[in-house]
Amino acid sequence: MSAAKSRARAPVRFDLDGGALALLEASHALPLVSIVVALRSGSAADPTGKSGLARIAMRMLRRGCEGMIAEQIDFRIDSLGAEMAVDTAPSTVAIHAQVISRSVGGLVELLTRLLTTPTFPIDELERLKRETIAEIVEARDNDRVVGQKALQRTLFEDHAYGRNSGGTVESVASITRDDVMAFYRRYVVQGNIVVGISGDMDADQAPVVARALIAGLSRGAPAPDDVPEPTMRRGRRLLVVDKPERTQTQILVGTMGTSTHDDDHVALVVANAVFGGTFTSRLMKEVRSKRGWSYGASARTVVDRRRQAWVMWTFPAAEDAAACLKLTLELMGTWVEKGVTPREVAFIERYLVRSHAFEVDTAAKRLHQALDVELLALPADYYSSWTDRVRAVTPEAASAAVRNRIHPADLLAVVVGTAAQVLAPLREAIPDLAEASVVPFDAE
Amino acid sequence: MAAQRTMRDPGAARRAWAEQANGEAVPSAKLTYEGSQPFGGELLHRWRLGNGLTVLLLVDGAAPVASYHTWFKVGSRHERPGKTGLAHLFEHLMFNETESLKAGTFDRKLEENGAETNAATWVDWTYYYESLPAERVKLAIQLEAERMTRLVLREPQVASEKEVVANERRYRVDDDVEGSANELLYKTAFSQHPYQWPTIGWMEDIQGFTPEDCVAFYRTYYAPNNATVVVVGDIRERDVLLAIRNAYGTIAAQAIPAEDIDPEPVQLERRETEVRKPTATEKLLVAFKGPALGDADHAVATVLNEVLFGGRASRLYKTLIVDRELATDVRGWVSTFRDPGLFECWATARGTHTTHEIQAVMDDAFARLRADVVSPEELARAKARLELGLLQQLETIPGKAEQIGFFETVLGDPSHAFRRVEAFRRATESDVRRVARRYLRDEGSTVVRVLPESGAAREAAQ
Repeated sequence: MSAAKSRARAPVRFDLDGGALALLEASHALPLVSIVVALRSGSAADPTGKSGLARIAMRMLRRGCEGMIAEQIDFRIDSLGAEMAVDTAPSTVAIHAQVISRSVGGLVELLTRLLTTPTFPIDELERLKRETIAEIVEARDNDRVVGQKALQRTLFEDHAYGRNSGGTVESVASITRDDVMAFYRRYVVQGNIVVGISGDMDADQAPVVARALIAGLSRGAPAPDDVPEPTMRRGRRLLVVDKPERTQTQILVGTMGTSTHDDDHVALVVANAVFGGTFTSRLMKEVRSKRGWSYGASARTVVDRRRQAWVMWTFPAAEDAAACLKLTLELMGTWVEKGVTPREVAFIERYLVRSHAFEVDTAAKRLHQALDVELLALPADYYSSWTDRVRAVTPEAASAAVRNRIHPADLLAVVVGTAAQVLAPLREAIPDLAEASVVPFDAE
Repeated sequence: MAAQRTMRDPGAARRAWAEQANGEAVPSAKLTYEGSQPFGGELLHRWRLGNGLTVLLLVDGAAPVASYHTWFKVGSRHERPGKTGLAHLFEHLMFNETESLKAGTFDRKLEENGAETNAATWVDWTYYYESLPAERVKLAIQLEAERMTRLVLREPQVASEKEVVANERRYRVDDDVEGSANELLYKTAFSQHPYQWPTIGWMEDIQGFTPEDCVAFYRTYYAPNNATVVVVGDIRERDVLLAIRNAYGTIAAQAIPAEDIDPEPVQLERRETEVRKPTATEKLLVAFKGPALGDADHAVATVLNEVLFGGRASRLYKTLIVDRELATDVRGWVSTFRDPGLFECWATARGTHTTHEIQAVMDDAFARLRADVVSPEELARAKARLELGLLQQLETIPGKAEQIGFFETVLGDPSHAFRRVEAFRRATESDVRRVARRYLRDEGSTVVRVLPESGAAREAAQ
C-alpha cells in the first residue's frame, strides 16, 4: 500500500469487552511493533496531596505480578528486545512498549500478566518512591524544567493543571499501597482503557492481542471528566526562581491560551505560529537573528481537555534578561493589538499545510493522533480536517483570535536566574507589574 | 551475449543513462555511477559528480517525504588552539546571507515549502539537512548548492551569531552540570588530540572570531570533494540526479589540506579531577580510552556497554539504582569517533551517597568483566536491545538519511549500521572479556567528580 493511501484512512478501530477501545495503525516497513495501553484519566485525577499517584501506580505494574518479581520482569523485557515506559499527563497515563516483531507474542503475554495480576509488593513501592523522589531532586539541575514546573504551579495555582504529573517530594512520600491499589481498582478497568497498536501487525491479529491484554481486567466505567475549567489571577506577576551562579536565565511567560473546542482555536494556532512557531517567526527574528540574545525563542499553545496555557520561552544571558523580557512583552503587546498581516498568514499557512506530511509520516505518529482524539476528547475531525481548517483561516480571523484569547494584562513571567543579579532590572522591565516574588529553585 | 551481461550487471542501466545524460557536460558536472549496496531491504545507490561530490540515493516510498542531507568531512578536529569552536560557529553562519539570498531568505523559502531544516557539528563532521515534502526536494538542492559556494560573510552577521553561540554555550555547558562535566572529561583525558577541546569551543575563542577566520575556514573545507549528499525518500532518482548536477556541476573541487593531527599518546596513569557546581548531589564520570568506530573492537565494546548499562536488568543499573540505591541515573557510551575516543560511564549519586561509593561498585563490575565471561543470557539480552536500537533509528526517512550520512562520512561505508548489527550478533562471551581486558585498564582511565557547591544544596539532597 502506498503511503498516500495509508494516510488517507484513519486507524482501524475495534470495540473490545467492557467498553474498551483498540486502535491499529499497521505498517510493515520495519519489523517493529509499538503497543500503548492508555487510561482515559491522568494526573489531574490524583487526590489532593497525592500528586504523582497515577504515575507511581502505573510504574508499579512492572514491579511484581503473579509468578514474577520485579527483577524477573526487568530481565524478561530486556531479553525480548523490548522497551517499556510510563508517560503521564493531566488527562491520561499510558504504558508505551516497543518490541522487535519476532518477540511480540512474548511482550503481549508479559504485558497481560502485568496488567491483570499485579501484586504491588510493599518493598517495591517504597523502593519506587525513593527512586522517584531522587529523580525529582535531580531534575532541579535542569533550569528549563525548574522554570516549567514553577510556571505550571503558579499560573494554575490550586487547579489540577497546577500539579506536576510526577508529584513533589512530599506528595510522593505520602503515597501508600492502599492508594496504589485503589487507583488500580478504579482506573485500570476495561471501560477506562484505550489500546493502541502501530507497526508490524495485521488487522486480524490486532483485536486478538488487544482482547488478550484486557480480558482479565474488571469491566469498570470510564473515569468521570470532572476537571473544572482553569482560571488565572488578574494582573501581571513576576516570579524569580533563585538559583546561584547562573550565567543565563530561563524566561517563561504564560497566560491562558486555547481550547480545541473554541471556534477560533485553529485561528489562534495559526497566529501563534506567526508569532513564535518557526525559525523565522517574529520572536526568533527579533530575539535571536537581530540581537543574538538567545539561542532560541518560541511561543506555543498547549492542548488538553480544558483550556490550557499559552507560553512564550527564551533563555538569554543574565545581563540581557531584563532587556529581553521587555522586548518580548512589547512584541506580545504588538501582536495582540495589531494582529497578524495577510502576508504573514499566507506564509504560515503554506508552512503548516506543507509540513503536515511530517505529522503523519510514520504509523506511530498516526496512531498517536488518533489516541489524542480519544484521550484528550478532541473534536473527532481535529486531525483529519486539520489542513483544510488551516487553509480556511483568514488574517482577520487570526488577528481576532489573538485579541480575544491572549490577554497581556494578565500574565505570569517566570525567570530562573540568580535573583541578586536579575530581580531589580526585571521588575523595571515589566510595565504595570502587580506583584513580584522570589522562591528558591528547590521550591515545590 | 550482451543482453546476458546486462542482466548480470544491475548497474549497467544506470551507467548507460549517465553516459547519455552527461552529453556535453563540463567535466565537473559529469555523473558517474559507482554501484549499489543493500541498505536493509532496499538498495542504496552511489553516484559521483566530476567535481568529487559524492551522492547517495535511497528511494523509499514509506511516506510522501524526502530528507536531503549534506555531510562535510570537517569538525572540531580540524581546528587549532585559540580557534576552537570555528566549525560550529560556521555551521550557524551557513544559515545567513548568500550572494543571491538576503539574510533570512534561506529559512523562509524552506519553511514556506513545509521543510524542517537544521544542522549539527561534532568532532569529525558537520551536517545540514532539509526534510520536506518529496515533490519539493529540488528546493533543498538549489539552496544547499548555493550556500556551498556563495555564502556571504560580513561583520554584523558574524558578530550576532557569535552572541547566539555564546548563549548556546551557556545553555549547554556553563549552566549545565552534565555539559560542564563532560567538557572537563575530554579536556583531562586528551593531551594531544583535538578531541580535548569542546566542539562548541572555549568562550574566549568564540568571542574572538573575525569574518576573516570564517572566510578562510569556508574556502578550505566547504568544497564538493569534501562533501556527501544523501537523499532518502519518495523521490525519482534520475530527476534528483539531474537537479544535483545542474546545481552543483559548476562548483570547482578544491585541494583539501591533509590532516595534521597528533595521535593521542598511550595513557600511563589514571587522571582525576573534580569541580564544584550548584547541584544537590555528586556526579561521577569514569572514562577509559576506547576503540575508534572503525575498529573491530568497537561493536564488542558496545555490547559490553549494554551488559553494564542497557536496561534495568543490566549489571550497573541493577546494582547501583535497584539493589544498593546509590545512584539515580547511570549511563554508558562508547564514543563513535573516527579516532579512538572514550568509553564513558556516568552516574548521578543519590542523596548523600558519594562518587567514591559508586566508583567502588563500578571498579568491581569492570574487574568482573576482565576476570569472567558474561553469561549467554546477558549477551543475548544485550544483542536484542542493540537490534531494537537500530530499528528505532530507521523508523523515519530523516533517520535513515542520518545513518547513511554518518557512517559514510566517518567510515566510508553508508550501510555500516547493518554491519554493526551483524558484528553484535557475532560477539562472543570471550570477545567481551578480551575487550574488557584491553580497554578497561585503570591506568587508561580518567575520573571527573562533580561535587555540590554549598551546604544548602547538600541539605536539599537529604
